[in-house]
Amino acid sequence: MSKTFKGRAVLPGEVAGKATVSRQAFNTSASYFENMFAGRTDSAPCSDVSNEELFGRDLSNAILCFPTTVGSTTGGMAIMGMAAIGVGPRAMLFSQPIDTLAAAGVIMADIWKDTRITTVDMLGDEFLETVNMDDPIEVREDGTVIVG
Amino acid sequence: MKRRDFVKTIPAVALVTTGACARTEDAAAQTAPVAEAALDATSESPEGFSVLNPTLDDPAGYEPVNSDQFGIDRDGKPTSNKLTGTGSDAGLKEHDPDNPHKMTLTREEQDILNGSQGPVMAKVLKTVVAHGELFGAERLEDLGGAPHTSLFTGSPWVEPVLEMFEEIAAAGLKAHAPYTVNPMAIDLYTVGQDPVKRQMELEGFPLQGRLISVHTKLGARPLNAWSCACYLPEVGNTAPPGTAVTWAESSAVNFGNSVLGLRVNRMATGMEILCGIAGKVPVFGLLTEAGRKAKWHVDVQLSKEPHWGILGGLVGTKVVEQIPYITGIDQWLKLKEDGSPDEITVGKLKQMGSATASSGAVGLYHVEKVTPEARDQGQDLFAEDYQTYVIDDAELARYVSTFQNLWKEPNGDPTGVYIGCPHNTYDELVYWADKINTAMKDAGQEKLATPVFFASSVLVEAHLLDEHPVLFRDMHVIGARYTNLCAPCILGLKGWRDIERGVTNSNKARFYTNMRLFSDDELVQIAVTGKIPA
Repeated sequence: MSKTFKGRAVLPGEVAGKATVSRQAFNTSASYFENMFAGRTDSAPCSDVSNEELFGRDLSNAILCFPTTVGSTTGGMAIMGMAAIGVGPRAMLFSQPIDTLAAAGVIMADIWKDTRITTVDMLGDEFLETVNMDDPIEVREDGTVIVG
Repeated sequence: MKRRDFVKTIPAVALVTTGACARTEDAAAQTAPVAEAALDATSESPEGFSVLNPTLDDPAGYEPVNSDQFGIDRDGKPTSNKLTGTGSDAGLKEHDPDNPHKMTLTREEQDILNGSQGPVMAKVLKTVVAHGELFGAERLEDLGGAPHTSLFTGSPWVEPVLEMFEEIAAAGLKAHAPYTVNPMAIDLYTVGQDPVKRQMELEGFPLQGRLISVHTKLGARPLNAWSCACYLPEVGNTAPPGTAVTWAESSAVNFGNSVLGLRVNRMATGMEILCGIAGKVPVFGLLTEAGRKAKWHVDVQLSKEPHWGILGGLVGTKVVEQIPYITGIDQWLKLKEDGSPDEITVGKLKQMGSATASSGAVGLYHVEKVTPEARDQGQDLFAEDYQTYVIDDAELARYVSTFQNLWKEPNGDPTGVYIGCPHNTYDELVYWADKINTAMKDAGQEKLATPVFFASSVLVEAHLLDEHPVLFRDMHVIGARYTNLCAPCILGLKGWRDIERGVTNSNKARFYTNMRLFSDDELVQIAVTGKIPA
């Protein structure tokens, strides 16, 4: 049975697919090492060994669901970079308010690289408690997210 | 044989001390692509990021131990699920979907968005405004001082950001003031004397030339002023208390807010320069009075003066992003007549603060009776719902017991002593030079057993030479080296970590790399004897 959540459409868009879920904060720069430093462009295997849910999972074109992002202040650049080479996420869905690192990354990618990562924040703790890995998920322009 | 396997066969000591030429069988192939890429900087961007020689095993591989806000505690539980990233947890907590938050702009700012200063400046300001509105900024503030950027490593993956700034530079735009940059992770004259390490530096940061070029065009100061301790008097990037500035680099933001009383959020790299180009910054987080309140009372009850980096690391681990008001440490800190910290105290606060900002994500701390806002407002700085955290000798010892030996060869002898993360002050350089030089004379020894690298701005090094030329000479004679390197960055390079067994006085460097932290006396002993003290 599906459940609907309403957040703030930071960068509106319509996306549908399967959810990629992390219940701990997403460490952006730690997650994309293969792409950032080994030049990988065909996929984006999560390289953050401290994230048991995501480690090794391909993050390219994922609909990412997590509380917030953390890590190096270069994290924003990492998001912009991933978007530029085509392995960035399709959507970033935050249960909490978006953090400044991710905000910088998605805005810079949108304005300077014409690459929109659909971004919704403030979906609430219940969103992250409800959505599970690979659940069907749909994001709408007005910030509505339907899980299941 | 792949380069990495070859490197592992070379004794690390030989690499560092003799600088023996260690050409691999494909070294010639390695050098040519570097030259070609440097000449061809304006060509169309390759797909993906530039890995210069795909036959190399992970040429720009980077493997830090931790990054800021590691996010997981010792029990594997998340610690950072509600962070804002600003260094303060003040920010927009709710929104009205029918009435999204918008900033109030001045006529001039609106005109810029409409193109009065050209389409590229309009894009710059649009980015800054969009960012600020997400965090509830009501308005923009004109910037003072000068920017400081943490866009400093020419790693392959920064190419999209470089392109953005190249577009801005091509439009003829510059930052509102000549700005400082973090120190590079390339030094070809000290650590890079070793050809294998030199190659790693060049491969690890192949876009460094483009980075230097775009910063120059955007108004960066010359490389002598590139330093993470941009606020030191020799470098001079500071401003009166209360000034809004645009800085990135967690340790500089931390020092600027806390010790200098500046107003700066912990910026995402790239955004700080965009604000610098616009000459304006959105007012939210640490630029607001509410955002500078302390949600933690850190009650330090130690029996003796601590290692300042260790204390800072413990504070940062606990409070993560929230602001601490620290009591119990003013006894070890001194102020000058004008109320500013004396030079020794600057060094202590720099060590402590940088560790809070790396082990946690602290953008501002208050120290009772010492830092400017704490001197003015005292415990009025506590937020309503503040918590208390006591640090006693046992708690500090517990934290130190979590430090691990992550050397690839745990029982090997150290290969380098790295002092200066953040960059050394002049007084720190004098202190260490005197300490090590004296120890060497007492030991009757002519050369250091373990190479010692002191990192500082070139301008600070010049101050040392100016005031203490004989000491400076003596340090070179015994084998110490002065560099403007960013040591943690270079020790995060995968290959470097495989061969280096670094020791340091910096808890920030320890957190980011596999360097091991020792006391000052222990580091001197390591430098003189070449061995880890028993």
